[in-house]
Amino acid sequence: MGDLAKLLHEFGPAFIHAALITWKLTIISYSLGVLLGIALTVLRVLPIKPLKVLVGAYVEFFRNIPSVALLIIIVFALPDLNVLIDYEPSVIVALVLVCSAFTADNLRSGINTVEAGQIEASYSLGMSLFKTMYDIVLPQALRAIVQPMTSLLIGLMLSTAIASQVPVPHRELTGLVDMINNETASGILTFAITAAFYIGTGLVISWAGAALDKKARILR
Amino acid sequence: MSTKSAEEALFENPDRRTRALIRVGTAIAALAMLALIAAIVLRFYQAGQLAPRYWEFFAWGSTWKFLLSGLIGTLASAAMAAAIALTVGLVFMAGRLSKIWPIRWAAVALIEFFRGVPSLLLIYFCFLILPSLGFKMSSYWMVTLPIGLNTAAVVAEVYRSGVLAVPRGQRDAAVSLALNGWQTFFDVIFPQAIRYVVPSLLAQLVIVVKDTTFGYVVTYGELMQNAKVLVANYNSLVPVYLIVAVIYCLLNYSLSKTSRALNNRMGAPATLSKAGGRLNRHAG
Repeated sequence: MGDLAKLLHEFGPAFIHAALITWKLTIISYSLGVLLGIALTVLRVLPIKPLKVLVGAYVEFFRNIPSVALLIIIVFALPDLNVLIDYEPSVIVALVLVCSAFTADNLRSGINTVEAGQIEASYSLGMSLFKTMYDIVLPQALRAIVQPMTSLLIGLMLSTAIASQVPVPHRELTGLVDMINNETASGILTFAITAAFYIGTGLVISWAGAALDKKARILR
Repeated sequence: MSTKSAEEALFENPDRRTRALIRVGTAIAALAMLALIAAIVLRFYQAGQLAPRYWEFFAWGSTWKFLLSGLIGTLASAAMAAAIALTVGLVFMAGRLSKIWPIRWAAVALIEFFRGVPSLLLIYFCFLILPSLGFKMSSYWMVTLPIGLNTAAVVAEVYRSGVLAVPRGQRDAAVSLALNGWQTFFDVIFPQAIRYVVPSLLAQLVIVVKDTTFGYVVTYGELMQNAKVLVANYNSLVPVYLIVAVIYCLLNYSLSKTSRALNNRMGAPATLSKAGGRLNRHAG
């Protein structure tokens, strides 16, 4: 117990600060990633072949590349192409690219859960493309993607750990474990506290997601 | 029920004006795509990255041999991590479905723990913390074991969703044939559950492969680690990382493609696809 008190006394504020950084990275990259993903989906469903091909390639590339490999490319390789991005923005860019690819994929499958017959019916009632999209397709598509978007948020939150791989000015949780372990001997406790932050955040997100899903889900 | 997708139905039978718009849009998009490619090539040229010294060593067999040994390292770690995940996942799931509450609670705690933390944090635990307590393991296990356990927790939930998706009548029938609990589970329920979840399990493999990238943290000779060595030797960052990224993408793309194809063919029951959303870990 003495160890815990000592660790908290010495590093308590550092843990809180690191948790705030983890949450900040998560929230910023999720918001931007979702917005970018929506824009990509719009481009992808348009009946314009080159756009479909381009967005399709984008989605497959960023869905399948390990995010830490992407981060290393942004931080270490891009400067050779005269593209210089600071460490923390690099982490955000990497996470936004990955998040946007998954969002685009989720949203597209969400749209495709709507039966084509509903769209045909809407058109035959004289509704325009935008009205059909806004009143018929999107309300159902958005409800269908609450769960996948929740697990995307949890996955993204865990992925912020990649920030420990570059010298960011403010350490997030995993980077903090590395630092504290170098300075003190209380490795296990540090690990346990950090793990508790991650698990707690994940549980809160999944609880909120489940509550939202319960409200939004259409029983078919 | 029509087999047409919503995406297709949205733009079916466009009128003349829309058709004209689509043609103009296609032309503009094609031009923009060419401009994008040209801009990227120009950027490479201006930064001097097209110089032969950055690329020539890709013509040497030794370079590819080294990358191949990295890829084998990646696959060796991923395969073992997958094997750990499939077996430990089964144990976790059995505990999770147990009727004895201490076992069930312990299983829930383990599952929530292992899937609730980043695999990188677990790798740090094996790499930084265990050695200071006197436990030493090879760099191979420092990557493989954490990823295996992390994935086991997810796999346990995947198995469970499969088991819950097996129609209740199957269990009733087994019981009425006087099969015992063990036989009911392993001869009747589980073989069916596995069939439902094969696509989800394959999708997990993509994340396992991605996670092995952290091998370079403990200098385990996987693809990323070997790429770093190449970069250090030839001072050629962009080409090496680009090619490694493409290798990862092709490997993972073929895995996710197979998973999706199986998913369409096997047609998991509705209850499973409902639970599936929660189970898919995404990033990694």
